[in-house]
Amino acid sequence: MVECDFPECNTFGSAIRFALELEKGAAGVYEDLAKEPKAASAAETFKALAASHKKRGDLLEFTRQQKLNEMILEPIQDIRREDYLIDTRTPMGLDVKGAAKFAAQIEAQSAKFYLDAARVAKNLMAEAARVMDKLGKESLANKAKLEAL
Amino acid sequence: MALLSEVKKDYGKLKNYINGEWVDSTSGKYIDIENPTTGEIIGQVPMSSADETKAAIEAAHEAWWAWRETPPITRARVFFKLKEIMEQHFENIARIMVQEQGKTIDEARGEARRTIENVETAAGVPTMMMGYNLEDGGAEGIDEDAVISPLGVFGAVCPFNFPAMIPYWFWPYAVATGNTYIIKPSSQVPVTQNYLTKLVEQAGFPPGVLNIVNGSHEVSDTMMEHPKVKGISFVGSTPIAKYIYKHSAENGKRVQAQGGAKNSLVVMPDAVLDRTISNMLASTYGCAGQRCLAGSNLIAIGDVYEPFVKSFVERSKKIKVGYGLDESVNMGPVVSAKAKKKILEYIDGAEKEGAKVLLDGRKIKVPGYEKGHFVGPTVLDNVTPDMKIANEEVFGPVVSVMKMDSMDDALDFIHASPFGNAASIYTQNGKWARDFRYRCQVGNVGINVGLVAAMAYFPFAGYKDSFFGDLHGQGQDAIKFFTDRKVVITRWF
Repeated sequence: MVECDFPECNTFGSAIRFALELEKGAAGVYEDLAKEPKAASAAETFKALAASHKKRGDLLEFTRQQKLNEMILEPIQDIRREDYLIDTRTPMGLDVKGAAKFAAQIEAQSAKFYLDAARVAKNLMAEAARVMDKLGKESLANKAKLEAL
Repeated sequence: MALLSEVKKDYGKLKNYINGEWVDSTSGKYIDIENPTTGEIIGQVPMSSADETKAAIEAAHEAWWAWRETPPITRARVFFKLKEIMEQHFENIARIMVQEQGKTIDEARGEARRTIENVETAAGVPTMMMGYNLEDGGAEGIDEDAVISPLGVFGAVCPFNFPAMIPYWFWPYAVATGNTYIIKPSSQVPVTQNYLTKLVEQAGFPPGVLNIVNGSHEVSDTMMEHPKVKGISFVGSTPIAKYIYKHSAENGKRVQAQGGAKNSLVVMPDAVLDRTISNMLASTYGCAGQRCLAGSNLIAIGDVYEPFVKSFVERSKKIKVGYGLDESVNMGPVVSAKAKKKILEYIDGAEKEGAKVLLDGRKIKVPGYEKGHFVGPTVLDNVTPDMKIANEEVFGPVVSVMKMDSMDDALDFIHASPFGNAASIYTQNGKWARDFRYRCQVGNVGINVGLVAAMAYFPFAGYKDSFFGDLHGQGQDAIKFFTDRKVVITRWF
């Protein structure tokens, strides 16, 4: 289990921080699932997803450093942190179906956050919104992959 | 949420950087550097003497010719290296700014980005300082060339509001074009330049090419009066800008001196109100209003006034004030107790003159930061064009709302101001926007943008009492400021 600190999402920095916490939490869950004996047949998939979420964290840090424009650092409205929290307390003893179902919920929640954030932030964060949109779509694809396990 | 960590709690006694060495000041005089959010002392900055400044000027002069002979592409490579190092230290640069200046981490990251963008732009020097020529330009068989050459030693006197970026409006262009440089950082926020100069050192600039001398007017006056200094760049208040302009010119220097501002944001009846207000909040409260480009007078035209004011006040109430190392904070403190006192006096004075305080930031308390110099978002209504608050620079998170009948009235008001830094219009009407940009006599015009901050490759300065000089900071103007044109006429027998 990974300890996460999900902030409010009222600034560019806090929205990126929220996303970084999502990625950290998701990567932690996948690492736990990869070690689950009853889900061993999907261990490689979970390891790959853990690595992917870490890489997504790097992309977010790059975005925070390179894509902000202080000319339009406007306050962000209409993104409520409560709507996007994820549960990173990985249950023990899950089989493949159970593990995939648990992880798919995280991907669904992540997709919802990124796609909402991209929509709200389109006029504020400009280039960053494109990254959010990409990550949201990627989470939806991950969810589909998990549901097929 | 959890605070981001500070880079250091205490930066100790800062040193000067002269001729490639970090040296203790010999003046023996130091002043404290305060974290404006916590009230903690985070270091001491020396008040260097005239002799120390002269030593830096001599070192810069000594380094000049060898640096001038270094090919532009080689000079550019050192800037590419510096950019790379700055990217690695990006987060530390930003966090130091939050700690010593009080801005939010987003604002600080934005400033760090703009600082690097000036380095990137200056690295284009081989193209930007090319001269021109004309075969047979003198007469048949006589060719004429204009060669762009550096001049020698330049210096900058810098303000507190952008500790990283403002020195970088100048020195990368000066040094890239083959000059050498001396920065006097603001004594209120010297840590950021101290940190950045350690990165400059790593990048491989030869000793003496860039020097840092901390201090006060003794340093500035020495630079302005020294015969080996060719030019001075300054950013600060209008009275000091006038002094710098006059005193530098008297001593035969080139000079660019940026002064104060009083910027108006004009809301036309067809403005997209929600987006307009979001943008205005960034302009008015960003950096706690301590930007020379901050919106200060909000002018609503006609019937938009009532819905605009109501919504602006509601949104202003949601601005979260606190320590900028909390990423969810929208606005930090102002830079000092002195600055806060001055801002509160402006609000009190406006109230006495008849302004109505719709949102009062005077008594704001930020739990955990009782020693911080906070002023909350403040909105003043019933402000009339003749009031002091409508005409003088407050440099804090205070906005005056005015109702006018037409864009013509707004332009008349803007033009009556002694300042001419920036003005913006919010409208969906192309004709109104075009008229505004054409007629408005300010240095920076915004169309649905309330913070008209020129990017590194564009020139930045205001008009009227907001700027004294001719060539602006950044971009091609900077290249021209730091170089001269030498004409060579060639004839072969």
